[in-house]
Formats: sequence, C-alpha cells, structure tokens
Amino acid sequence: MATLNIMVGQEQGNVPVTVLRVEGDIDAATHKDLQDKAAEVIEKGATHILLDLGGVDYMGSAGFRAIHAVSNMLSDEESSGLSKSPYLKLLNPTDAVARVIKTLGFDVYLDIYQDRSEAVNAF
Amino acid sequence: METPLTSTENRIETLKKCMFLAGLQASVLSGLASKAETLRVASDVTIITRGEEGSTMYFIISGSARVHDGEVIWAHLKEGEVFGEMAVLDSEVRSATVTTESDSLLLSIERDVFYDALSTDPDAFKAVLHAVLKREREIVEQVKTRSTKLLAYQKELEIGRRIQADFLPGSIPKIDNWEVAAWFEAAREVAGDFYDVFKLKTSSHVAIVIGDVCDKGVGAALFMTLFRSLIRATSLYGCMDSAVDNANGGKASEILLNSVLTTNRYIATTHAGSSMFASVFFGLLDPGTGELIYVNAGHEAPMIFRQNGEVELLDITGGVMGLFPAASYTVGSAKLNEGDLIFTYTDGVNEAKNPDGEQFTEERILKVAAPEGNSTDAFLRIVLEAVREFRGEAEQSDDITMLALKYLPPSA
Repeated sequence: MATLNIMVGQEQGNVPVTVLRVEGDIDAATHKDLQDKAAEVIEKGATHILLDLGGVDYMGSAGFRAIHAVSNMLSDEESSGLSKSPYLKLLNPTDAVARVIKTLGFDVYLDIYQDRSEAVNAF
Repeated sequence: METPLTSTENRIETLKKCMFLAGLQASVLSGLASKAETLRVASDVTIITRGEEGSTMYFIISGSARVHDGEVIWAHLKEGEVFGEMAVLDSEVRSATVTTESDSLLLSIERDVFYDALSTDPDAFKAVLHAVLKREREIVEQVKTRSTKLLAYQKELEIGRRIQADFLPGSIPKIDNWEVAAWFEAAREVAGDFYDVFKLKTSSHVAIVIGDVCDKGVGAALFMTLFRSLIRATSLYGCMDSAVDNANGGKASEILLNSVLTTNRYIATTHAGSSMFASVFFGLLDPGTGELIYVNAGHEAPMIFRQNGEVELLDITGGVMGLFPAASYTVGSAKLNEGDLIFTYTDGVNEAKNPDGEQFTEERILKVAAPEGNSTDAFLRIVLEAVREFRGEAEQSDDITMLALKYLPPSA
C-alpha cells in the first residue's frame, strides 16, 4: 500500500516551528499518514507546523481534508475566530498542487510560502 | 525461521485436528507428519500471494491469518485450519493471498509429499475429497448469506438514491425570457454533486446553485443534502442569528452573503471533525435586468458566453465551504445581456479522464462550447457528448453536473 514519506524537522523563528516535509501523493490511501504524523508531533509538543509540500506531485480532496484536520488539531479558542490559521502554514507546493489550492481557495485559509526561512519567521 | 515440532506424534495430533485431513488413517497422517516442515512466522507476513504459482499447503498449528485480496478480507483462519490446499490439489495459481495476523506456527506440506502419502491408502483420496466438498458446501452457504446481505445493502442504497433525488429540484421554475437546462449524472448510486434553481420569496431574484462535496459515496451524499438544504433554507427563510431578515426583505447581496456565511459556519462548527467541504457557486440573478451577484466558494469558474464571442470567467470570491468557521467571502457581480449564456459545472466535466489519464480541462470546454444559436439543452448536450467522446472506454470517475441559463434574445 502506498505510504507517505514524512520527515520531521525543527526550526526556531519567533516561536519553535516543526517542519513536516511530505513526499508522495496525498490521496485517499495516504492522507492518514499525514494526520497521524501531525498528531504525533503535536502530542510531543509541536504548536506551529510548517507543511513542506515540495515533494507532493498530487493532492486529492482527501489531502485537503487531512490539512484541515491538522489545522483543527492545532486550533484553539483564539485562532478559531480568525480567517487564517496562525499555527499552520504551507511551503513550496508544486505547480500541480498549487493549482488545486488556488481552485479550491485554500490560500484564503492558509498562508503559502516559497522560502523556508521566510515561512518560519512568519509564525 | 524454522523450529521443529518436538515429535512426529505432536505433528500427527496437529494434522488430525484439521478437518481437511480428519478422515485419513493414522499411517497416512504419520507419513505426512514425518515429511512436513514447521515454520515460525511473525505477524503480518504474507505466506502466499494471489495469482502466483505454489506447490505448498499450510496448516496453522497456532496463531491466525486472513485470506484476502488487497484490503478485501474473505476469511479469518485460526488454529487447525488449512490454506494453500487448492493450488496443491489442482496445480492452478493461488486463488487468494494469505497473511498472518499474529505470530504463528505453521506446518507446511509439499504437493509431491501429499500425493505420495495419499497413494499409500486407497480410501485417502475419498476422505480428502469429502473434506474438500464439505468445505465447498460451507462456502456456498457463506456466499448465499453474503448475497442476501448484499441485496439488502443494495436496496438500502437504492432507497438512499431515491431520497437523494428529492434534494435536487424536481422541476426548474419557469423564468420569463430565460431558458434553463440542467444535467446531473452520478458516478455511483449516490452523489456528492448538487444543483438548485429557485425563486426568492421576497424579490424577483432567481437563485442558481451548483456544488460539489468532496469525496464520493454515502458520506458525500449525506453532506450534499446538508449543504443544499442549508443554502436553500437560509436564503428563503433567513438566518436566525443574522440581523438581516431574508423572509421580510433585505438586499439580495445581503441575503446571498448571509446564506453562504451561515451555511459555512454551521457545517464548519457542527461537523468540524468530519473535515468535509464543498465547492459551491451560488448566484442570485435578476432575470429582468440580467444582473447577477454571486459567491464562488472554491468552485470551477462558471463561464459567461457573450453574444460577441467573448467569454467571462467568474473566479472564486472565497474558499471552499464547510471547513473554517471564520471564512469570509466577497460578492462578485456580472451582467448578462440578451443572447448571453452562463454555464456552470462540476469537476466531473473538466477533470473527466481519457484512457491515458489526461483530463478534459477547462480549455476543451471553451473549445467545444457552442452557445451561439443553440438552446441551453443543446448546449449541454454538446459539452456532454464531447466529454463522453474524450473519455472513451475510461470509467466515469466523478459525478457530472451542469447548469446553463440563457437570456433569450428579443427575436426568440
């Protein structure tokens, strides 16, 4: 069965940022890997996650649902009133994924960056 | 890793417990036992694989395994049960995959060993045949039970399909000087797509809605009914927590925005754990003037085909609905003139795939679209036929929904 390769990195910006670098297609078969990994790092104390999508060539609706689930795991009372999540940001989506993000308007909900350090310091 | 069972006697006892060999004489069992090999296998190890050749059968001394094809599980096997015997008996390829479900101890017997042992006793074949037939009868019973259950599920699904059909407009209201056509084709019994056309109670505006709930099947269908009903209810009867009382007036743009915000907030809050979303285009058309105001919540851009050949795309004015309670939307506007046609659709059209996996794309819609001189019905048929031709033998993988409205020119 297809699985996602997810590497966990740690960066220090204004706050500690956990970077999840995802490799593989995020679809119905693999989206749970992303949710599980996010749950694991959040359990260990991660509060701000930068999701690096540079290695994702395809993301179906299951992938967007997983991203929402991660955003939900990180949300608190303060963030639920905001139109953009202060705790989850996206990094470097491939052209194909960026196109779907734009079609669905996910860029309305999450900040997207091309540069890692800029993204880390934006939290 | 192999670990020999302590004694031939123990092996004989193990083989005896197996229904498949229960009818064999002690001498035959002893022959088999002496040549059988033991295997200790960890959990989650695939022992035989569907479609592959194999000449070994396995008896479970301890542990458990599942008979499956990918994620579809056919049976769970436990201590005393056998697998792999079919390919041993008929020399065909393996009919299923078997994977251990716990640390297991297995006894394996090769085809040659099995037939050699059986040939020492004239009644042995008869005993094995009886055992095989007994198992076959059990399988037939299982199939019967499953067929009955399947039939019941199919009936339930059919009821679901019929109920869901009620969530699409039974008929489209007649609008003076406008022609409306819709097409809806589910990829499965129940669908996540929806569309709606209805007149507002308090103004002359006509609501045009098209939406696509993520995912497919029953889950998507349940959320489709929710999105569709909330949009319709909030725009017809007002929003309980809104200052604007839709039922007693209020500007069309306020009705539109309140309906979208309330529907989004309700689903994003009440069903947050489901992470289900929908892309929705919701427009309010003033049929007397052709003025259209709309919210495009992450949906494929509807196309306005102008009489002069120009095409205007109504891009998104916000993200998909149902996920983030605080999502905000802006209201877009456009004007249709006499002779113009607006075409809305779901991604079953632009993402329809041909056998090579290529997508139909928005560009192809624009290429085949022939609004000029065609009725909305004919227009939808042209697009649909182009999609079908493009798809060829490939399966319809997603629901296809299309809705077109045309402002009739004075001469019509």
